Amino acid sequence: MHLRSLRFKLTLWYVLILGILLTSFSGFLYFTLSKSLHRDVDNKLRSLAELIASESSSPLSKFSFGTIDQALETSMNLKPIGKFIQVLDESGNIGRKSDNLKNVQLPISLNALKNASKGLITFETNRTIGNTPLRIMTFPVVENSHVTKIVQIASSLEGVEDALNKLFLILIISVPSTLILASLGGQFLAHKALKPVDNITQTARMITSQNLNQRIHPPKVKDEISRLIETFNEMISRLDQSFRQMKQFSSDASHELKTPLTILKGEVEVMLRKERTSKEYEQTLRSNLEEINRMSQIVEDLLNLSKADTGEIRLNKEDVNLTEILNEVVVQMERLAKTKKLHLSATNHHQDIHIFGDALRLRELFINLIENGIKYTEEGGSIHIILQKEYPPPVTGQPDWVEREKGQFVKIIVSDTGIGIAKEDQERIFNRFFRVDKARSREQGGSGLGLSICKWIVEAHQGEIGVESELAKGSSFIVRLPLSPPELNH
Amino acid sequence: MRILVIEDEKKVANFIKKGLEEEHYAVDNAYDGETGLYMAEVNDYDLIVLDLMIPKIDGLEVLKRIRGNRNNVPILVLTARDTVGDIVRGLDAGCDDYLTKPFEFLEFLARIRALLRRERIDKEPILKIADLTLSLVTHKVMRGGKEIELTGKEYSLLEYFMRNPGKVLTRTMISEHVWDYHFDSMTNVVDVYVNYVRRKIDKGFEPKLIHTIRGVGYILSADKSA
Repeated sequence: MHLRSLRFKLTLWYVLILGILLTSFSGFLYFTLSKSLHRDVDNKLRSLAELIASESSSPLSKFSFGTIDQALETSMNLKPIGKFIQVLDESGNIGRKSDNLKNVQLPISLNALKNASKGLITFETNRTIGNTPLRIMTFPVVENSHVTKIVQIASSLEGVEDALNKLFLILIISVPSTLILASLGGQFLAHKALKPVDNITQTARMITSQNLNQRIHPPKVKDEISRLIETFNEMISRLDQSFRQMKQFSSDASHELKTPLTILKGEVEVMLRKERTSKEYEQTLRSNLEEINRMSQIVEDLLNLSKADTGEIRLNKEDVNLTEILNEVVVQMERLAKTKKLHLSATNHHQDIHIFGDALRLRELFINLIENGIKYTEEGGSIHIILQKEYPPPVTGQPDWVEREKGQFVKIIVSDTGIGIAKEDQERIFNRFFRVDKARSREQGGSGLGLSICKWIVEAHQGEIGVESELAKGSSFIVRLPLSPPELNH
Repeated sequence: MRILVIEDEKKVANFIKKGLEEEHYAVDNAYDGETGLYMAEVNDYDLIVLDLMIPKIDGLEVLKRIRGNRNNVPILVLTARDTVGDIVRGLDAGCDDYLTKPFEFLEFLARIRALLRRERIDKEPILKIADLTLSLVTHKVMRGGKEIELTGKEYSLLEYFMRNPGKVLTRTMISEHVWDYHFDSMTNVVDVYVNYVRRKIDKGFEPKLIHTIRGVGYILSADKSA
């Protein structure tokens, strides 16, 4: 397993957190148990000491006879096992002591003696006698606010230590082994959870631009992974589509450029096969020039569109008088219309319509649309342009004036009485190089990019463009542009 | 040899016509699939040059319909799309050869010569009868070691005769294969040209090769009794 893999990281974190939890739990357990066991020993020592103290100071007691063991047994019927008892006088000289001490004395520290003289109890753990630590309690017996005796009771801590050692041993073995088991389990879980991810990786790796129709198989269960796969598949679909568009586009573009190239090459080659008159040469050169101009137009349009795609073209937006621009364009286009005996007219219902836009581009938009109309209308037909303001439909439940200013559009309709566009082609006419009738369009000139450029200009102005058309009756191109600058956010 | 060029792009069609005519072919142009199909059905062409992207009836469809009529005329397809799929579709639909645009005009001419040669049993680029030879590549005509100068029309006529030796050729057949559709068949132009050619290749040579079949037409043959 790779050290940087997600599986390793997940397992590592899992084990780390579990380790911290287990260690702190074990520490807490050990500490509280140790404290409670020690307190237990101390309490026992204290109660015994208090008992001895009260017996020894009682005048009726039989405590002062014999050894301490005998005295305890006779006076209180007590046989304390494992407790060492020794009684000292107020100056620290050892008096009686229990039999189990034999000839050993319980040590008394200076600190304990000092405390005792003040009437305070001292607990101490001594590790100097034998192998096992002793818990020694030094208990001063106070009579009439005088320390008369000091009772020392000690108990071995062997049992306590044993229990704690055992617990420690259990913990030191069980915690790491739990962690090892947990890490194995964690790895297994991580592996199981991440297996679909591996599958996705493998499929995704196999997908190249050549086989974008492939998809990752979604699992039956709807979970996070299946959502990821869905997202992936959607992304591949989008890629597939844009790749296909790109292929279509480059194939269209190359076709569009191949035709003038074929003409140039063919005409020149035929010309060069033998000596010609200068008139023939001139004709060929003129024809060649035409094709070269057409190619330059295509290349320039393409360059502009690709610049627009990458956002390199900045619109020079300012307050423009749309009515004025339109009137100018109409006058300019009238000459072209006359050569085809077409009637070109324009109506606008408002005096002057101002919008926030790029005058140069808007002029180009009108020219392209009108030129398009002229191209596809037979002699004797007409082209009509309508410019009008459009109000959005009133929102129900709101007073009329709300939002009215904001949602205003200017609507430009360029309609012709031309050949029309079939329903199935209407959506595609704004695509680059799409031509309804290839032969006719080339004869009319143009790069096949005019409407794509229109669409770009309209969209750059936050507007929309559409077409309504009926075959053999004519087409209407409808452009809607927002009237007011939309909140100055660009 | 009469060739039909079905190509919608007028300038392409024009230079093809011009180039082919200078090689002594008779050329008709059709600018859309419908006209092309009609002309291919009505006239007897020796070869058809077909662009695949043409209006009204698509090039592939034209190809299929021509073959559907049991017309085995050699067809050279021109296409701007050079993907394998397009070429395979074209060949499978029954075209004999293809060229992608833009093409070399020399290669175009060579392919046309190759396609026309396929009709003949021997594949030599030189037609021969008795001691008369005609080179299809250089257009040189020789008889008895002497070069014979012919005009374009005379060359076309002789080529047609030499491609069909020993066969009776009617005036209609001659006019259909040597002249394009602007030819007015009511005149005696065919006879005039046959006499021009006869004077150039038979005068001062033996045996005589071009014979008149009275009331029918002409025959090219080295055999006197024919």
